[in-house]
Amino acid sequence: MDKSLTAKKLIVTVTLALTLLVVVMFLCSLMGTERVSLRKVFGSTGPQELVNPDYEIFVSVRLPRIILAVIVGAALACAGVVFQAILRNPLADPYILGISSGAGLGAIIAVLSGLNWVFWGRSPIAVFAFAGAMGTIWLVWFIGRLTGKSHITGLLLAGVVVNAFFSAVIMFLTSVAKSEQVHSTIFWLMGNMAEEDFFVLWLSAGAVAAGILALFYISPQLNVISFGQDDARNMGVNVTAIQTIAFAAAAFITAVAVSLSGLIGFVGLIVPHGVRLVFGPDHRQLLPLSGIVGAIFLVAADTLARIIVAPAQLPVGVVTAIVGGPFFLVLLVKHTHKVGWLGK
Amino acid sequence: MNVIEVSNLSFGYSKSPVLDDLSFEVESGSFLAIAGPNGAGKSTLLNLLCAVLKSKSGTIRIDGSPIKSYGPKTLAKKVAVVRQEFVPVFGFSVFDTVMMARTTYFGQMGFESRADRKIVNEALEATDTAQFSSRLLGNLSGGERQRVFIARALAQNTAILLLDEPTSFLDLKHQVGIYDLLKAAQLEKGKTIVAVTHDVNLAAQYADVVLLLEVRSNYHHGEAKEVFSTKHIEKVFGVRTFTGRVGREKFFLPLGRLAKDGQITPPNPSSEQPK
Repeated sequence: MDKSLTAKKLIVTVTLALTLLVVVMFLCSLMGTERVSLRKVFGSTGPQELVNPDYEIFVSVRLPRIILAVIVGAALACAGVVFQAILRNPLADPYILGISSGAGLGAIIAVLSGLNWVFWGRSPIAVFAFAGAMGTIWLVWFIGRLTGKSHITGLLLAGVVVNAFFSAVIMFLTSVAKSEQVHSTIFWLMGNMAEEDFFVLWLSAGAVAAGILALFYISPQLNVISFGQDDARNMGVNVTAIQTIAFAAAAFITAVAVSLSGLIGFVGLIVPHGVRLVFGPDHRQLLPLSGIVGAIFLVAADTLARIIVAPAQLPVGVVTAIVGGPFFLVLLVKHTHKVGWLGK
Repeated sequence: MNVIEVSNLSFGYSKSPVLDDLSFEVESGSFLAIAGPNGAGKSTLLNLLCAVLKSKSGTIRIDGSPIKSYGPKTLAKKVAVVRQEFVPVFGFSVFDTVMMARTTYFGQMGFESRADRKIVNEALEATDTAQFSSRLLGNLSGGERQRVFIARALAQNTAILLLDEPTSFLDLKHQVGIYDLLKAAQLEKGKTIVAVTHDVNLAAQYADVVLLLEVRSNYHHGEAKEVFSTKHIEKVFGVRTFTGRVGREKFFLPLGRLAKDGQITPPNPSSEQPK
């Protein structure tokens, strides 16, 4: 009796994971420096009361932030899965091909330009970071294609070089910038979860969901591509088309995530590996589960970031690394026999 | 009927040709071994036959049509490939690995049908790998893993199987086991087998036809007993061999140091006639 994935198994697992996500979102929305009572949030507070503080905290502060964490966590985890598959590299994360430095460069250019406008609810930093991320990934892809058949290695090397080059430009610009400008850029780059308005959230959620759906559609082909391009081609996969879709969609959802919350490390690396260790490497299951687990992980990490040193807040990237690292190592030790890249 | 027809094929990396004006045919249901020294273009030829590489000039026809006229999906329904043994990056099970051969047949939702599962189970049975179908590929021995890759090629349900040195890194027992498996696929399922190999003895035993490639684009094509003469072996590989027979089967023993020390005098290559 084989234990392979069936559509029924996938639907059951994803439904259970989604239920867990809703429970975590609900619990985390109640946690914070101020205690929130659900009865007060949704109950009647009397006709004379104009402002319901519990409702305000729940709906205007915590819910947007939790939805933001869901979007960013899902996007980064799914992008991590896809970059690991198409680059056939367990160390790949969403930022491996220079997206981080491209977004950082875009952000610092926006800060130094002193621009002050709003585009679809987004600040110049977010817009320039998105453009920087997409521009960089296009540049890396273009250079990688020029290297020919073994362009996966070419892509990785191009990503490393572009990353180093843009990092140097960022260092140069921060050296000549005023200290308050540098401070705001570095704070943004460290990754933070700020409250966003619902228009931005729904727009971003739609963009990320579309990207993840496109990736799920090609997930059977991602399984085959993880065995190598030549093998995949011989098993009937149009490798160039699948790699282009995977690369474009993963880069796009990463750029959306970066423009929302800056650079949050670790989620795109350890969530895919954690899910792979427990549920196996089949991308038809790995991709949706990583998205949901990434969302759960970031919602929980952001809640901890809000309450550990309250009323101050930690950058969420600090929590993802401190909490996620040991948790991942436990999984790794417990499920070592399942890890293909460690050999026997 | 020929399922593979190669005419005036040339290919080279940079400016130096690896294959030059190569022509041969492979009959349906036959076993062709491609042999030759390192750098003679064996793997290059195999990659041309499965469209991973594109020829500079000449034509390759698969099932009567030019290989260039097939998209990846259509070609994957005609030709399956087994490459040299390797360990994948991620920990897929044996069953999942073999099921990947059915990806082109998956439904819109990306899942296999009952028919796909039946074909995969038959391929696992045929290669004697069903017993460890739930184990991870990375946890198998080299010989077991190679049988899994052959099962995957069988599950692709194609008329043609191309294999690139399927027994490299395997011990004698496993080498014979793999070739027995391929011969069974040829004789029982009517598959056309094209295997690149370094082992002239296994090729002589199992193949009906041999393509012996030389480094400088020369080649010999024909029945194994004609192509594998002591003269050809010495010319192509640059090694003197002792040729013997076990029953009707010919075997070659490379002499190496023995020839240099004069302990064994091999027969004069020019005097040997194929029998």
